[in-house]
Amino acid sequence: MIRLIATKELRELARDGRFRLAGAVVLVLLVTTLGFGWRLAASVAEERSAAQQAAEESWQGQGDKNPHVAAHYGKYVFKPLGTLAFLDPGVDPFLGVTLKLEAHKQNLAHDAPAQDATAIHRFGQLSAASVLQLFVPLLLIALGFAAWTGERERGTLRQLASTGVSMRHLLLGKALGLAGALAGVLLPAVAVAVAMAAWLGGGADPGWLGRLALMVGAYGLYFGAMAGLVFFVSARAPSSRHALVVLVGFWSVTSLVVPRVASDVAARVVSLPAPAEFAAAVRHSMENGLPGGAPREERVSALSAALLKRHGFEGAEAFMDEAMLQGIELQAEAAFEDEVLDHHVAGLATALARQERVAQWAAVASPFLAIRAVSSGLAGTDHAHHRAFQVQAEAYRRALVQALNDDLARNAGDDVWRYQAGRALWERAPVFAYVAPGLGWALDHLGVALAVLVGWLALAWAAAWRSLRRIPLF
Amino acid sequence: MAVLEAVGLRKAYDGFVALHGLDLVIEAGEVFCLLGANGAGKTTTIQLFLGFIEPTGGTVRIQGLDVAQHGLETKRHIAYIPENVMLYPGLSGLENLEFFNQLAGKGRVDRAALRAVLAEAGLQAEAIDRPVRTYSKGMRQKVGVAMAIAKGASALLLDEPTSGLDPKGSNEFSRLLVTLRDRGVAILMATHDLFRAKEVGTRVGIMKHGRLVASLATDELSHADLERIYLEHMHD
Repeated sequence: MIRLIATKELRELARDGRFRLAGAVVLVLLVTTLGFGWRLAASVAEERSAAQQAAEESWQGQGDKNPHVAAHYGKYVFKPLGTLAFLDPGVDPFLGVTLKLEAHKQNLAHDAPAQDATAIHRFGQLSAASVLQLFVPLLLIALGFAAWTGERERGTLRQLASTGVSMRHLLLGKALGLAGALAGVLLPAVAVAVAMAAWLGGGADPGWLGRLALMVGAYGLYFGAMAGLVFFVSARAPSSRHALVVLVGFWSVTSLVVPRVASDVAARVVSLPAPAEFAAAVRHSMENGLPGGAPREERVSALSAALLKRHGFEGAEAFMDEAMLQGIELQAEAAFEDEVLDHHVAGLATALARQERVAQWAAVASPFLAIRAVSSGLAGTDHAHHRAFQVQAEAYRRALVQALNDDLARNAGDDVWRYQAGRALWERAPVFAYVAPGLGWALDHLGVALAVLVGWLALAWAAAWRSLRRIPLF
Repeated sequence: MAVLEAVGLRKAYDGFVALHGLDLVIEAGEVFCLLGANGAGKTTTIQLFLGFIEPTGGTVRIQGLDVAQHGLETKRHIAYIPENVMLYPGLSGLENLEFFNQLAGKGRVDRAALRAVLAEAGLQAEAIDRPVRTYSKGMRQKVGVAMAIAKGASALLLDEPTSGLDPKGSNEFSRLLVTLRDRGVAILMATHDLFRAKEVGTRVGIMKHGRLVASLATDELSHADLERIYLEHMHD
């Protein structure tokens, strides 16, 4: 029975020129945005790996230098583009990709692509994800707003009722028909996306297939929720025109107004320091020690003593050469600075994570926000992934600085600052390799948004189901 | 055997009484024509049989089953032809018939058999595969009759099915009703057409302000008698 109704719905849609046109427009938009996203991603990936290689070469070719001077000279790393970023750039275009790693400092990534966007970049902003998140719901509304009101207005609802068909079967049949029509539009785009992701990710990134599969599932939840709402409104609206106005109103409020309001509210609820304020606080702690902790000099000498003890040199300072003492001192200073940075950055990260959680909860008022969070989270282009990059880069910076200070302590002899290391050391130093977080990690960060999305689906269908009890025939 | 039965059937809307305790029995092979001015309660009666509205009092039964309790089950026995049979405009007459027939729980029926039913209902062969949006009202009414035939309905509920049809269309429709009547289908038809009521009806009932004020067997009446009695009742 349900299949019969679905088949009839599909047949009507397939013969309806308006649907064919709307479906074709959405498919063309999807394939175009996928194409542009893919081209952009391919060139960006190439640029960044070239830049990374150039940075590595400039590091190795920096000539003979004192290792600590080299640590000040620093090294650039570039955030690699995730395989699925072409589907959903998320907040990537607004966040930095270039990060300078140097002694005594934890820099933030800069050079966001949005800063020097060209036309193609700007078109790239209309991503496949935004087509899916904004335009497909409109297509669903266009296909379904008259699902019940139209039957009533045409008089076919009475004819249906006189056959003794149950309203539940009708609803499920209509839903299946709508799903079939949507699949006809979306499946070709999914096939294109899989091919592009395979080309971009290939064997280098084994995680993309699982992430893409989950993405397809998440969009399924989103479209399911929207369809449930469409059927609910169509069942309760006095006329097709009312249903259309209510649904388009819902769409524009939840996908255009709520996101703006939500980000303002999130920023107000959880305040973040301005960059200059943050830098000043860090500088203050660097000079004076952490609030409530020992002053700088005291803390550094305590750390230095601990280092000596760890290396078994306690009380043997008189017998150590200048370089070793200087090396230990540098290590202790770095450790102190790391403590200060850890303290401030952890505070910032907590505030950011809270802000993102507030934003995810805002999805209670907008399924669009829920899918936006889930989609960019799965594509690896949300704030959480950006922070993961920052954290890995910072860990690498410390390892690099430590390797250089170690070399200084071990090999510099008495004339510490005359000592120069060469290419052999630069080549021996660790190389940065960003490891994208796994799927489980990504899902951990999306718990709220996923739960809200499932909540929308359940609520929409409960409402659509309940509305069947009193669908007026006249 | 009573196929359609109303016992003390009442319907009131917010103080306005549309139907005051209607008692009516229609047996297999009978055509009962409801006459009366607009607002007399004819359509209300038919919609109560269809279960589209709920009675305020009394019961309606189809094949002995209470419509209030066995709504979906009673639909298996009936076919409904309103003033305008509404179909899906994008589908052909055949596709509409096939869809509604399967919805009625008749399973998959061979398309050739459905074509034969449409032909029997008088639909021209060339129209069968055309989209319904190109149909005239008379053609849609014929698809409605075909739906009743294909379903094997034992009762037909008709709400002014011929209003607006030209005399030829009206005549063809009446002939179809006679055929169905002779096969033992019980028919309840609301109409304004006294002439057709006399032609196809076995009985006519005159309704006024929600009451059945007269019920007459047509074989004892001439056209003139029917018109005179009707007008007498309409006189306030």
